[in-house]
Amino acid sequence: MSYKFISQAVCFFAGLPPKPWERAGNSSGPTPFKPPSSGSTSDVVEASGTAKPGEAVPTTNVTANSNTLARPVPPRPWQSYGTSYGGYGSNMYNSSYGSGTYGSYGGGLGGSYGGGLGGSYGSGLYGNSMYSGYGGGMYGSSGMYGGGMYNSGLGGPMGGYGMGMGGPYGNQDPNNPYGQPSSPPSFWMSFLRVMHGVVNFFGRISILIDQNTQAFHLFMTALLQLFDRSGMLYGELARFVLRLLGIRTKPRKQQQPGPGVPGELPAPSGQHVLEGPKAAGGWDSVWGDGAKGSN
Amino acid sequence: MPVFKAPFSGYSVRFSPFHEGRLLVATSQNFGILGNGRVHVLDLLPSPAAPGAPAIAEVAAFDTADGVYDCCWSESHDSLAVSGVADGSLKLWDVSLPSSANPVRSFREHSREAHAVDWNPVRRDSFLSASWDDSLKLWTLDRPASLRTFREHSYCVYAVSWSPRHGDVFASASGDRTARLWDVREPTSTLVLPAHEHEILSCDWNKYDECCLATASVDKLIRVWDIRSPRAPLANLAGHGYAVRRIRFSPHRESILLSCSYDMTVCMWDYRSEDALIARYDHHTEFAVGIDMSVLVEGLIASTGWDELVYVWQHGTDPRAMP
Repeated sequence: MSYKFISQAVCFFAGLPPKPWERAGNSSGPTPFKPPSSGSTSDVVEASGTAKPGEAVPTTNVTANSNTLARPVPPRPWQSYGTSYGGYGSNMYNSSYGSGTYGSYGGGLGGSYGGGLGGSYGSGLYGNSMYSGYGGGMYGSSGMYGGGMYNSGLGGPMGGYGMGMGGPYGNQDPNNPYGQPSSPPSFWMSFLRVMHGVVNFFGRISILIDQNTQAFHLFMTALLQLFDRSGMLYGELARFVLRLLGIRTKPRKQQQPGPGVPGELPAPSGQHVLEGPKAAGGWDSVWGDGAKGSN
Repeated sequence: MPVFKAPFSGYSVRFSPFHEGRLLVATSQNFGILGNGRVHVLDLLPSPAAPGAPAIAEVAAFDTADGVYDCCWSESHDSLAVSGVADGSLKLWDVSLPSSANPVRSFREHSREAHAVDWNPVRRDSFLSASWDDSLKLWTLDRPASLRTFREHSYCVYAVSWSPRHGDVFASASGDRTARLWDVREPTSTLVLPAHEHEILSCDWNKYDECCLATASVDKLIRVWDIRSPRAPLANLAGHGYAVRRIRFSPHRESILLSCSYDMTVCMWDYRSEDALIARYDHHTEFAVGIDMSVLVEGLIASTGWDELVYVWQHGTDPRAMP
């Protein structure tokens, strides 16, 4: 579309339906505004003497203005303040969130999220979001996107691994006019990136080990419980089988063979002797309750 | 009601002032933090061909090399639209031309992300842009450069809104916690409104009351002001759980306004009534950042958010209900 055509298009108002509010009157009475001027915007602005075509806005903002409120302002959305906080734990968005474009505000908020291995939504993203505001805790507090919701537990305990890695990516924002074109990553950047990978890898390994250990523990516990329940029965069966084979186990409380003297001290405990068939007692004392053995 | 799935996170949605059911949607890749952007032009289909068939058709889509943060239709020509891009440029699109011929213009003066654009609805020959370089710029299509720059804010300017009843007056909302009123004929702002204790993310004029302005802030509040008595707001609307991202007064009802927030809901309010919150729509699963109300169809609402979905529904119905 040519310039001329656009200029003509400006005058093409036909076809625009009237606004609903144009049919109604103004309800607020007198207004503080100067009455509207007639003519095109360009003419009106130029007639007022305020036109400054194409004024450039410096990138470093030094606003020397009298009626600016003297209040502190938060860091700019694109400023990279987030070097050491706001764990950019997830792999998926690692580079983009680390870029520092929006990494600034959330400050420590993101760090508390525990992204870690939780995948895409881990930390940082919402904690450090564009408008999270310098108020602190504005978005960071609820944990809505924290470990729980998207990480389903695994991300929680491991969240710490991802933290603090945002820093090295701080200057990679392609929109950053100060740093164009972006230089290749420095030694420290690559080093930290490698370290991040290593830590991430071991984080995964440790989760595997953890899960396996737990499974093994459960299995052993179940097994032991089974043995515990059936322990008595198995003990009795074993003794019966041994006896059928002709091997005798002396029950612990069996008294000494021979003529028993009432009131005689029992044999020392712990005596448990395997021996061949005996004359005295015979099968009578097999069940070893001492009642028959004392005959 | 119709739903459109965009490939990127939605940032802004606008109804065409010319065509019923035509929408403009600004989207950005990776939540607008890094990556490309795309502007979609959508048409609502009057009656779906078959049950379950999409009720929205994409008329055109334009790609940008950076995220698109805001967009608006021209009030002077039905096929023109302008968008604010994360690289600071403003792109003018012509829907009637193929993608290869677009953008028809690109204005590059802002040194930071262009975060909001608004077309003059009264004089219809100019538009404003608000940028993170703390400035606002006034543009007309017959000039290659901006006509004027408004530099008073001491922090990013997040929103700008022309007065719907006065062609020379507009309001801006900034992260310096002030909203300012401007007259394009005046060298400085005409009113500084320290409206909130936190960053102000959006502002909009009441269409039926020339002196009534609403502001929305990170402090989760929406405030409605009479600019003739700026000491105290007319109304404090509390109910959002997080920062309120965008507000829009109804084109049809004087006291109705619509808001969307980082708590992922879209709310409708009647600031005059005791129970101000009329409706709460929680259909988005991510931050809801773009809303609009149709000028041509009363009660028709559109919203978009970081879940990459654009919903269009009639007020009072469920946005997720399929026809």
